[in-house]
Amino acid sequence: MRRVAVTGIGVISPLGNGTSELWDAARAGRSGVRRLDMPFASRLSAPIGAIATFDDSAGLDAAKARMLDRFSLMALASANQAVQASHGALADVERARAGVFVGTGMGGTLSMDNGYQTLYGEQSDRIKPFTVLMGMHNAAAAWIGIEHGLHGPNMTYSTACSSSTVAIGEAWLRVAHGELDVAIAGGAEAPLSPGSLKAWEALHTVATMDADDPTASCRPFSKNRSGMVLGEGAAMLVIEPRDRALARGAPILGEILGYGQSNDATHITRPSVEGQAAAMLAALGAANVNRDAVDAINAHGTGTLANDKAETAAIRAVFGARAGQIPISATKAMHAHLLGAAGALECVLTLLAMTHRVALPTMHLQQPDPECDLDYVANQARDGVAAQVMLSNSFAFGGTNAVLVLGAAA
Amino acid sequence: MTDTFERMSAILIKDYKLSADQLTPEAPLEGLGIDSLGTVELLWSIEDVFKIKVPTEPVPLATLGDVAIYVDQLIAEQGAAAAATPDAPSA
Repeated sequence: MRRVAVTGIGVISPLGNGTSELWDAARAGRSGVRRLDMPFASRLSAPIGAIATFDDSAGLDAAKARMLDRFSLMALASANQAVQASHGALADVERARAGVFVGTGMGGTLSMDNGYQTLYGEQSDRIKPFTVLMGMHNAAAAWIGIEHGLHGPNMTYSTACSSSTVAIGEAWLRVAHGELDVAIAGGAEAPLSPGSLKAWEALHTVATMDADDPTASCRPFSKNRSGMVLGEGAAMLVIEPRDRALARGAPILGEILGYGQSNDATHITRPSVEGQAAAMLAALGAANVNRDAVDAINAHGTGTLANDKAETAAIRAVFGARAGQIPISATKAMHAHLLGAAGALECVLTLLAMTHRVALPTMHLQQPDPECDLDYVANQARDGVAAQVMLSNSFAFGGTNAVLVLGAAA
Repeated sequence: MTDTFERMSAILIKDYKLSADQLTPEAPLEGLGIDSLGTVELLWSIEDVFKIKVPTEPVPLATLGDVAIYVDQLIAEQGAAAAATPDAPSA
């Protein structure tokens, strides 16, 4: 097994673009959740979401950019940032040994929604010719491969809310086992279409809007939580063997130490304490890291009662008496739930937290919940924490749990 | 410069962010970043603006001038057809 370093990070998110903007916002506890003001927002019971603002050409000429759904544009823009930050990770690589691993839950759902609007809403048969190419889930990974000339495996994972944690983990496996020399890995999601928002609303998992402060509508681990908030964005890593990175003098932004998975195999939505605990233990086993070495956790922390209770119990089951001493950050309170891109964004935040030795805050934790009695770093970041090893948890509808064990750069 | 070419150019300037000096009848579509797939999409936009129906059978079109001639030909055919059958849908 080779040690695997992160040498480039790219971010398009509701908290800003690039690691600097993202970090400043997250460290300060700013929320990217907003009241939505697009025309269809009036048809939503809770018109809230987290929008990413970015240069939507993604460096492409306009004729080509017309072929990409928003999720692919965000994926490509963040991949470009990550490659740029890596100081030449792709410059001398054997192209067949460089791969792309992208997670997305809903793929090009905006393009499909547009097509259905034309077909059913406007009763027109004139669907845009690019709809299939924009809607397909593997478009984001494909465009990253095309634009960066990467001939290795080009993979797309769709395991709902754990998609991009799976993508990063599977890329880590290939690099650690020597099958690849570089991978671009992460996730992208652009789910803020009328159809998607109404479908999530119908599932009764979406938060009600905080009437006084819509930006505080997502409240993980708080007794007055009311559910999750949907957001959009993308986060990509460049990963490669640590020795290769050192040999070319590249910046090392952190290490991926291990990745573990489990499948609940119980219920399509209800989380399983045993399944979540099994994923954390599998990740620690893969990383060969003792549970006592874990300094902090980025929780899945969606702000639904079912998740918050199960995740708290699962962390207790894994860490026993020490669970209460581990800082746990639920950053979705700020950036919202990016579904298939959530794990990648939270992986990035965890890497940055280690770099800065900070435990990020769980914002809007207004009312402690007796059933959630761990240290969630309520409402304010904590400086000077131990930060050598952290976990990033992702749990999904369908039951695919995935956890990354991340290590500090030093 | 025909009226058809001018109206096509307006689409390319607005939606494809091309500059007017790139748009000559001799300009190859590939050189403007519009490959065969992109041409299908351009014709889809043209259908809207010119109120014509582009047949699904592919036609070889290499330059902007080729597209303008093809569009003029469709206007002539479909204008005549519409005139002959006034109840036919226009698009």
